[in-house]
Amino acid sequence: MRRTLTLASTLLVLLALGWLTPADAQTKEDTLVYALQSDVDTWDPPNSVLREAIILGYHVFDHLAARDLKTRRVGPSLATSWKTIDDTTWEVKLRQGVKFHDGSPFTAKDVKASFERVLDPAKKMTARGNHAKIKSVEIVDDHTVRFKTDGPYPLFVERMTALVIHSEKVLREKPHEWVQENPIGTGPYKLVRWNRKQEHLLVRNDDYWGAKPTFKHVRIRIIPEQATQIAELISGGVDIIKAVPPDQMDVIDKSGQARTATSPILRTALLQLDQAARGGPNPFTDKRVRQAANLAVDADAIIKHVLNGLGDRTATAVNPMAFGWDPNLKPYKQDIDRAKKLLAEAGYPNGLDITFHTGPPVVEPAIQQTNDAIVADMAKAGFRVKQNYIGDNTVLVARIKEGKGGPMFNWSWGYYSVFDADAILYDVFKCGEAYAYYCNRELDDLIHAGRSTLDQKKRAETYVKAQKLLFDDAAYLYKWGLRGVWGISNRVEYQAPADEVDRMFLVTPRKK
Amino acid sequence: MKRYALRQLVQLTVVVVGISILSFAILHVIGDPVLLLLPQNAGKEEYERYHKLLGLDKPVYVQYWKFASRALQGDFGKSWYTDTPAFKLVIDRMPPTLYLTTAGLVAALLIALPLGILAALKRHSFVDNLCTMLAVAGQAMPIFWLGIMLIIIFAVRLKALPASGYGTWQHFLMPAFTLGAFLAPITMRLVRSGVIEIMNMDYIRTARAKGFGERKVVVKHAFRNACIPVITVLGLQFGQLLGGAIVTETVFAWPGVATLTVDSIRNQDFPVVQCAVVLLALIIVSVNFLVDIVVGLIDPRIRVA
Amino acid sequence: MKTVAAGGEVALGARAAAPETARSRVNLRRLWRFKWGVAATIVLLLVVGSAILAPWIVPYSPLTVDIQHRLGPPAWMEGGTRAHLLGTDQIGRDLLSRVIYGGRVSLVIGTAAVLISSSIGVLLGLAAGYFAGRVDWSIMTLVNVMLTFPFVLLALAVIAVLGPSLLNMIAVLGVTDWPLYARVIRAETLALREREFVMAGRALGMSHLRIVFRQILPNLVSVIVVIATLQVARVIILESFLSFLGLGVQPPTPAWGNMLGEGRVYMLNSWWIATFPGLAIFVTTLAINLMGNALRDWLDPHMKV
Repeated sequence: MRRTLTLASTLLVLLALGWLTPADAQTKEDTLVYALQSDVDTWDPPNSVLREAIILGYHVFDHLAARDLKTRRVGPSLATSWKTIDDTTWEVKLRQGVKFHDGSPFTAKDVKASFERVLDPAKKMTARGNHAKIKSVEIVDDHTVRFKTDGPYPLFVERMTALVIHSEKVLREKPHEWVQENPIGTGPYKLVRWNRKQEHLLVRNDDYWGAKPTFKHVRIRIIPEQATQIAELISGGVDIIKAVPPDQMDVIDKSGQARTATSPILRTALLQLDQAARGGPNPFTDKRVRQAANLAVDADAIIKHVLNGLGDRTATAVNPMAFGWDPNLKPYKQDIDRAKKLLAEAGYPNGLDITFHTGPPVVEPAIQQTNDAIVADMAKAGFRVKQNYIGDNTVLVARIKEGKGGPMFNWSWGYYSVFDADAILYDVFKCGEAYAYYCNRELDDLIHAGRSTLDQKKRAETYVKAQKLLFDDAAYLYKWGLRGVWGISNRVEYQAPADEVDRMFLVTPRKK
Repeated sequence: MKRYALRQLVQLTVVVVGISILSFAILHVIGDPVLLLLPQNAGKEEYERYHKLLGLDKPVYVQYWKFASRALQGDFGKSWYTDTPAFKLVIDRMPPTLYLTTAGLVAALLIALPLGILAALKRHSFVDNLCTMLAVAGQAMPIFWLGIMLIIIFAVRLKALPASGYGTWQHFLMPAFTLGAFLAPITMRLVRSGVIEIMNMDYIRTARAKGFGERKVVVKHAFRNACIPVITVLGLQFGQLLGGAIVTETVFAWPGVATLTVDSIRNQDFPVVQCAVVLLALIIVSVNFLVDIVVGLIDPRIRVA
Repeated sequence: MKTVAAGGEVALGARAAAPETARSRVNLRRLWRFKWGVAATIVLLLVVGSAILAPWIVPYSPLTVDIQHRLGPPAWMEGGTRAHLLGTDQIGRDLLSRVIYGGRVSLVIGTAAVLISSSIGVLLGLAAGYFAGRVDWSIMTLVNVMLTFPFVLLALAVIAVLGPSLLNMIAVLGVTDWPLYARVIRAETLALREREFVMAGRALGMSHLRIVFRQILPNLVSVIVVIATLQVARVIILESFLSFLGLGVQPPTPAWGNMLGEGRVYMLNSWWIATFPGLAIFVTTLAINLMGNALRDWLDPHMKV
């Protein structure tokens, strides 16, 4: 009996030790570890709305243009120069001597294939709306491309930073499903393996045309539990984490092992109200109810106390850093009495019940605490809000896309890192867009006008009008521009990115 | 022996089939998968088309038959959210959970055996109650609280162990202990009652009468025989462990099948949930089967029962 | 005469008094044997009492939000005030009030779920044990299926589809917990069946129903009571589990489980938000376990539970 037990337990132990995956051949010195709260759904960035997909895309792919983080201006990347031939034609010269990870050379046909794929309505790519102004892409020669646009396209240069360039050969030969899991780009890193919902391993592309990253390997670990992420950071298991809750900043700063860094980012938070009745009739189709909701919430106090001041109040959803922001428009100030009066006028003298769809803090820090504070404020005016918490961000986003987000849900928008009012107005406010629950023809006209002229002064005026309209109509419940909070290990140097794109290829070890 | 084994095998099959029916029933009868898959403004035609595509227009038993026959070949369909075969998704993440639960069981035994025996030998005394308290502590303490406390102490303060993740034996220690603490109370209770029962048996009195020292009596006779009920129920605990595994996997960022199943249920990704449930049941029942065989080998009386 | 009479009365009185004190001394000694159980019962009464009297004893409403005073530490720590003895949570709600109110949810769910599961389990166990044969086989197979099926998955699947609410939780917990009762009751019933008084009853022509409910069941009451008591503790822990996963009682209703879930990210600095509800769960379940143990030993020291 004893012998049997001993044998059995020995076998068990051997089994455990023998079958464990051996630790990979990277060492601590050459591996950078970055933590994400939730995994991407695909490695094909134009096919995803997730910020994580954009970030990962930057590592394995390149774009035509890239943003200089210090000056915030757009500079060359895969494109070396560009100019307008006429109001509706842009000519772009491409970099020579660039190779994809599979060895094939980068030429104009890759640019054409990448854009056409996104623009093809049959493919239903998520990023299509961003680039819809481009009518066609013509190859002039191997390193010159001409874009024809549907009317003047002022955001062309900005948007060149927003589409990754795929290999035409891959797009032609491989099926759609393959592309979702096997990114072949020109970027500073290559994907070695992807264990879904666990981790990604990247290795440096030693043939990269640009500045080679310092760290040979990047491990991207998926750690859903925030407390665990922070524990990992301060115990040395992870080097960089993002979306740190403001409440936990002192833990990191006092640890002696890591520090926090903040930066205002483009991402703006808001609560979408179903004015367009995508989910059917609901109280928010009435302007007075929407205004009451905005008047009920004391957003300034929430920023001060719940976010410890880490937020920039916005009058609408246009971020102060975006072109077209109107500094003269003052946000709603809390006025409970007026809110109650408006509700009574709208036919809700005894308040009303609202379902509020919320999600986990993947990109918006302290989202649950701010939601609770907002709900408490709204209760003062008579809104009886019931939170419907959906624990998986992918699920929440999918439901919103299908029109099931109404009557109220939590939303934030990163502008696809394009510093322009159009980058939020189109996707979040234009009638009929997948993630928009607002429908106002007047606004649509203004959006159209804003993207149809190259005259920046005229555009600014249009956007002032648009913001006034959105403010008066209380299209949504406006909150604030977020401040990103990063946790950075003291063994590395890293600049908190204002465009919310973490670039592991820029991280260097800290000099002792 | 053969007849006994055959009987157990039959029971194993019945249980697995029962579970597959149960999971199939719950998922198909309670929710309408088509409504979840289609966008809200899809027309009636689209709805009908999808209905046919998923085979939902056929009667329930036909659907079950199709599901079962395909499942036997390892085909559980494709995940509705990632288009990869459900079987592959589940199998890839099965080993970490299995290792974790085994390690948790071992840890539970390490805690519960000594405590249980001690409590049984000193019944009704202060020691008995103390052991109960210690064992119950693990279960009453919320798992994630214990987990995070361990992380804070061992990873952050002492820097002795990695805070989370999977890969080396050091990654195993804290999660295993957390799970073990969760299981210890029940196991201890079983050990205790098992030992009590045996200590009252005739052959123990005989051993004592023969003049064996108390220690020999306990270790050689009582302990060995107490193992039987413990092993039997440990097999069952394997199933209950899943609950603890879910939280442990979340806290320690463990890439296991428990969190996959939870996520899939949240996503209402039916193929993955069904596959996970059936495969897990198969494993649990097989473990029970093995346990029954082992116990049958040790104690012939059970075979005849 | 008077003195004699007085003396006589006194003498009589003394003799009459002696047996009284002797009896009470015996009772006290017996109670002292179960001192842990008694202490546990007192603690439990406090918990239940505070839960029932919650609206009258709490200093604040558990729902009052006060973001200016959020994350306030407990009164004895630096920065704490007497106004909030246990501190405030992440949006300024008083923790003491929420912990007291949370007890209501746990106890309601605990008792209701156990009532349901014990009823189902006892009935099925009686049927299996008494009628034996095919009835026994089918019920026991069902028991095995349910015991193998991980409870958490079932709960998740059902709640994820039906939606989280107090009633759904009670239903799920009640309907999934019965197998344990069935197993134990079946074993006991099988044994009792062969006893003389049952056979006598059958000879007398008593109906099956009468035999089961009048002869067998009364002998099982103590077993049922002990198991039920211990299961309440288990249900409370399972509730905190589900709430941690976001599938239990929804905020802002205070329940120990969801308070734990909300407080988990604060474990590293504002640890009190998760710790006090956790402590409440710990103390309550420990007390229930100790009381259950004492109950078992008091009612029938040979009970195999």
